[in-house]
Amino acid sequence: MTPPRLPLSRQPLRLIHDRIATGLITAGGIGVLLAILAIGVFLVWETLPLLAFGDALSLNTLSPLAWGTLKAALAAMLFATPIALGAAMYSALFMSPRLRSRVKPILELMEAIPGVVVGFIAGLLLAPWVERHLASTLLVIVWLPLSAALAGSLWYLASARLRQCLPLSWAGIWLMPWLAMMATLALWLAPLMEQAWFGGDLRRMLDQQYGLDYATRNALIVGIAMGFAVIPSIYSLAEDALADVPANLMEGAQALGASRWQALWKVALPTAGPGVFSAVMIGAGRAVGETMIVLMASGNTALFSASPFEGLRSLSASIAIELPEASPGGITYHLLIFAALALFIFTFLVNTLAEVVRQRLRQRYQRLGGNR
Amino acid sequence: MRWLSRPLGTRAMGSLLWPWLCAASVAVSLLMLATLLTLLATRGLGHFWPASLEEVTLHSGETVIGQPVREAPLPNAAGMERLYFTGNRDIDGTRWRWVAIDDIAEKSVPDEIVRLERTPWGDFIGRLSSVERAGERLEGDAAWAFVTTALALPDSQRPEAQLHLTTANGQRVIQPLSGVTLFQTPNAMSWVQKTAAWSQRIWQFLSEGPRAANTGGGVWPAIFGTVLMVILMSVIVTPFGVLAAIYLNEIAHQNRLTRLVRIGVRNLAGVPSIVYGVFGLGVFVYGIGGSIDSWFFEEALPSPTFGTGGLLWASLTLALLTLPVVIVATEEGLARIPDAQREGAVALGATRLEMLTRVVLPMATPAMLTGVILAVARAAGEVAPLMLVGVAKLAPQMPVDGEFPYLHLERKFMHLGYHLFDTAFHGEDVQAAIPLVFATALLLVLIVLVLNLTAIFLRHYLRRQRGNEC
Repeated sequence: MTPPRLPLSRQPLRLIHDRIATGLITAGGIGVLLAILAIGVFLVWETLPLLAFGDALSLNTLSPLAWGTLKAALAAMLFATPIALGAAMYSALFMSPRLRSRVKPILELMEAIPGVVVGFIAGLLLAPWVERHLASTLLVIVWLPLSAALAGSLWYLASARLRQCLPLSWAGIWLMPWLAMMATLALWLAPLMEQAWFGGDLRRMLDQQYGLDYATRNALIVGIAMGFAVIPSIYSLAEDALADVPANLMEGAQALGASRWQALWKVALPTAGPGVFSAVMIGAGRAVGETMIVLMASGNTALFSASPFEGLRSLSASIAIELPEASPGGITYHLLIFAALALFIFTFLVNTLAEVVRQRLRQRYQRLGGNR
Repeated sequence: MRWLSRPLGTRAMGSLLWPWLCAASVAVSLLMLATLLTLLATRGLGHFWPASLEEVTLHSGETVIGQPVREAPLPNAAGMERLYFTGNRDIDGTRWRWVAIDDIAEKSVPDEIVRLERTPWGDFIGRLSSVERAGERLEGDAAWAFVTTALALPDSQRPEAQLHLTTANGQRVIQPLSGVTLFQTPNAMSWVQKTAAWSQRIWQFLSEGPRAANTGGGVWPAIFGTVLMVILMSVIVTPFGVLAAIYLNEIAHQNRLTRLVRIGVRNLAGVPSIVYGVFGLGVFVYGIGGSIDSWFFEEALPSPTFGTGGLLWASLTLALLTLPVVIVATEEGLARIPDAQREGAVALGATRLEMLTRVVLPMATPAMLTGVILAVARAAGEVAPLMLVGVAKLAPQMPVDGEFPYLHLERKFMHLGYHLFDTAFHGEDVQAAIPLVFATALLLVLIVLVLNLTAIFLRHYLRRQRGNEC
């Protein structure tokens, strides 16, 4: 194809257009980046007047909130990390590729479910239900992993034909009815066990023997609800890291006689370790900043207590509740902006760390001869 | 029996069983997701189904008419009790009634029980005894025929009439026909009629405003507010996001600084949304909005015009919040275009602008679209920042109306997510509002999921259509 011949007189105009456009794009791009930068600058600037008020006051008001934030995040991570990493390991290395291409997008869609909806279900449905059935809930949490192991043992005992019908690579699907059945069984058994071991009412026993109060909306509920919201982000990143482990490493390990699990545990996990770590970090960043779920599921009582059955109040929830009413320029206003700054710095640092680790990992895979 | 014949150490056992635990965690995640969606769908859609109404006679001789809701064990005795939704808040002062099951002497499902929805008192459950129209009194079948034809007409053409109603305990109530929004005899309806009534009520939910302290009516203003805010937001975010991405990927020198900026932008996607809300409140509302007020709307001060939360500030805040999403997606699209395409364009004599607009941008369109759709999906579900910059429980005026300048950027607006939060946690009768909250939640989840799925399919489809290189 020959380049179109333009009259000479139009040439400079094109060049001028090009200059102007490049200048505009540069200005726009830098402007947008500066606007983003302005968030940090604004938060720091509005926190500065706090120095004039003295710091003793701010520490006293903010420390229970900071504690609440950490407690909520910890509860969520305790619930989410094992499930998300287990799911990532399974779907990266054990699942059949066809199933994986379906299941992964579905689990990633979980992330899109708005926090308000999760918080509403947790605060208005789950919380009262768990209050009435505390023993059942705890039993289900303990019982489900055990029943999965039971399913595994039964599978090894089963006949070869049955094993072919229900292969491990599809276990993510066919374990669902089994686990639902086991959960129902646990719910049915729980009242009997509560009668036998805890004198009929676990909550009363906790209160009388250990002095543990039980609040309807507590850290346990927040942990489950926010864990549900955090699972997809951890899962997605950890799964990417594990699935990108160069295939020749795994094949080498298995050729040397390692079982699949040993190859995963001894080769894939150490190689992908940084990626898995950064996935957990990003999950933690998300758990610390999540607002609506904590606001709706936690009872919002600013307490210093480590009990999982008591309420909490997080930094983000206090900002959402108090900032609209705080008068601009007052001490509450500056304090809440300081809280926002703390959240900003924390999540920014955590995410940067995770991102740097991920980039290192990508380079390592390239050195090891991965397909990327 | 291979496993039994060979003794295994605990470590080997572990390596056999661990995969099953991992598989179970996939199953548990899927189960939780399925439970959540089923719960939303059944409770959200089930509320609109015309449920049959029971008439219960107690041992004490009292009668209760209502819709059975759920059962629970009695607090201090053996046995169960059942919760009935009885309506009639103007007469009984409450809408609910717990009845111990052992107290029930007789239970029946009579055909002639009616359920009305009316303003201002919400539901009425009882019997229709007669209709009074212009001094004339209709009874029996004539009354029924009159009410059914009258309610089929649009609001403005309905005749003046009074309904004489009887509650379960024989109290008489007079209800003007003009306040009735729904008239049903659920026990006498067939499946077809019930389905028709069900879809009609879903339509009402989508197309009407809230009534009776959010326990009745619909969510139309909230849908409208959400959509308008999201449209404004995408109008703002698309050009700026694309501009920033083009600058980062095509114009800026690729050095250490650009890499740092890129990491920074990526990380902003992980910054909590509430922080953006704080920024929006401090800078847009108090800063810029306050200045606009003191320059242009001085006569209205001290009551703020732009110096308070409003549609414009909410859209700007969410645009800032979703900017990283658009930038990252567009940049990924741009980076995937092979350099050969750019070099080819330049070699044929194109300037950089022509190369960008004729070659690079068309190829990056799917990525940009995906980014915008993902941004919209994120913005539609985000509530926390909106609580700071302009959402309202009940906006008195819609942000768009017939008054000049038609689009009122300074007005507060209603939002589906905030409507859900407010109804569920600050309503006066949460129990009665919960079914509608479920319906709202279902609607919100559906909107967000559909947007996300569109993004996924669009990316997939366009990539396939244009080949693998972009």
